[in-house]
Amino acid sequence: MTEQDAAQDPAQATAHAMVEARGVHKVFGHGADAVHVLRGIDLDVARGSVTVVLGPSGSGKSTLLRCVNELEQITAGSIRVDGELMGYRYDAKGVLHRLHPKRIARQRARIGMVFQRFHLFGHMTALENVMEAPVQVRGTTRARARARALELLERVGLSDRVDHYPAQLSGGQQQRVAIARALAMDPEIMLFDEPTSALDPELVGEVLAVMQDLARSGMTMIVVTHEIGFAREVADHVVFMDDGVVVEEGSPGEVLENPAEPRLRDFLAHVL
Amino acid sequence: MSTQQAASDHELPEPIHARPVPRPGRWVSAAVVLVLAAMAVNALVTNPNFRWDTVWLYLRDVVVVRGVGWTLVLTFGSMAIAVVLAILLAIMRRSDNPVMKSVAWFWIWFFRGTPIYTQLVFWGLISVLYPRLSLGVPFGPEFFVFDTRDVITAFWAALVGLALNESAYLAEIVRAGLSSVDPGQSEAARALGMKESKILRRVVLPQAMRVIVPPTGNETISMLKTTSLVVAVPFTLELTYATSAIGARIYQPIPLLIVAALWYLLITSVLMVGQHYLERHYGRGFDGGATAGGRGGRGPFGRRRRPGKQALIGAAGTTKDDPFLEVTP
Repeated sequence: MTEQDAAQDPAQATAHAMVEARGVHKVFGHGADAVHVLRGIDLDVARGSVTVVLGPSGSGKSTLLRCVNELEQITAGSIRVDGELMGYRYDAKGVLHRLHPKRIARQRARIGMVFQRFHLFGHMTALENVMEAPVQVRGTTRARARARALELLERVGLSDRVDHYPAQLSGGQQQRVAIARALAMDPEIMLFDEPTSALDPELVGEVLAVMQDLARSGMTMIVVTHEIGFAREVADHVVFMDDGVVVEEGSPGEVLENPAEPRLRDFLAHVL
Repeated sequence: MSTQQAASDHELPEPIHARPVPRPGRWVSAAVVLVLAAMAVNALVTNPNFRWDTVWLYLRDVVVVRGVGWTLVLTFGSMAIAVVLAILLAIMRRSDNPVMKSVAWFWIWFFRGTPIYTQLVFWGLISVLYPRLSLGVPFGPEFFVFDTRDVITAFWAALVGLALNESAYLAEIVRAGLSSVDPGQSEAARALGMKESKILRRVVLPQAMRVIVPPTGNETISMLKTTSLVVAVPFTLELTYATSAIGARIYQPIPLLIVAALWYLLITSVLMVGQHYLERHYGRGFDGGATAGGRGGRGPFGRRRRPGKQALIGAAGTTKDDPFLEVTP
């Protein structure tokens, strides 16, 4: 599998980080109504690592995630994924050009994303959901996509639910199908946008278990979450954001056990 | 009643046995309505003025049946063109391009805002207004020139007139359907690397169809009767004109009106059956998952469906809230 190859090759990891964000700003709206959501973010995500982004709501962590795969267009700065500039290209003369939507779609195809509200395609069964992108984007044959989809659904523990429609599945099951759907594109990195926030407490565990398994297989992951336990156990790197800036980052041990910033201490006191 | 029903894994409780509330009003009102209905049927069937023998004779007349054929061609032809135009118009109205947006708005404003009869008269007069049509550079030289009368016959004028008018109404239905689909669906598709055209075709439109199909069925049934207005073009082969011409010739307009009405009723009934199956097809995966499979338990692709717990609770019609909803927005 590609993610394992990438993780086990330390030479590649030193070349450049999987994600490099430099001076990223995001402003929504114009003029007097403008909201400055990201105020200069620098972030490096090492290949094969799990980065957990923590922060109070409205701190810009979801927006940052959505900027990584161009669901939001950044206002200033640059984001590189696997060394490739997202959304733009420089020509031979060094002039910056916006990429054609088709090229952006191709960049997104290499980045898996899991949403808070699952967003499974409601008119397709679990199996069809997982097969859709490989068939429609990559042009994989249906037979091949089907075999791979069944494999992925087994990996997330849903072999007995392949012909169910999303409305017939529990939230936890839907989110696991959503993870399988993203994995079907063999992404180089997975983005998780509060994947357990819409779930009943007893269903959170099954989704986190799948994510932990994925992390162990060497997948590069950025996880926006409020699950401090997950951050402590699985994360290699923890980033705490507040008001559009990275306030503190480091290993889970440093950040969660000995927070330097009063804002982080305050946040941890509230969520723990 | 006293036998206990056993479920698959446990026994259901003995249900409550109690005398129902007496409701004499129900029986009285039902009896009154039934008597009135019987009187109405009797007044229709036994009245000699309706000439049911003539009705029966002309119901199968070759000119009438041909008229039915033309009416069907006009209905389905114009609806097919209108659906394609409506999807285009709805996409144009949702576009970021101000030119596309305003042209679509103007089109809908114009064709909804003027009477269909006026539009059909206009299309009938097109060869007088524009005697020649040409292909060439806009405002420049012409390469091919046609006589309008050869290109736009009465049939095409009728078809185009009906289609353009209908497209304006359908465009609004399609637009409502497209906006009924959760934006998260397109977002998820975009995150998977799908192109916008593919997202529309594979993800948004199929789900919008659930909202689009019922009013479009309504429009089709309405169009069936609107085709009778093409006499304004004039196009004279469809059902209403054909039957009223016979009625005038044999001095019996009433039986021939009944002939036309019976045919319209029959076609409408068939259309309603078709609509039912279309709605079931596009409803798959929604409404708790039970409706998709229908009573037969097999979906359009031959898959087995089981009614969801939530579907059974919803079918009782006593609750609006979803007690199993796990999403807290």
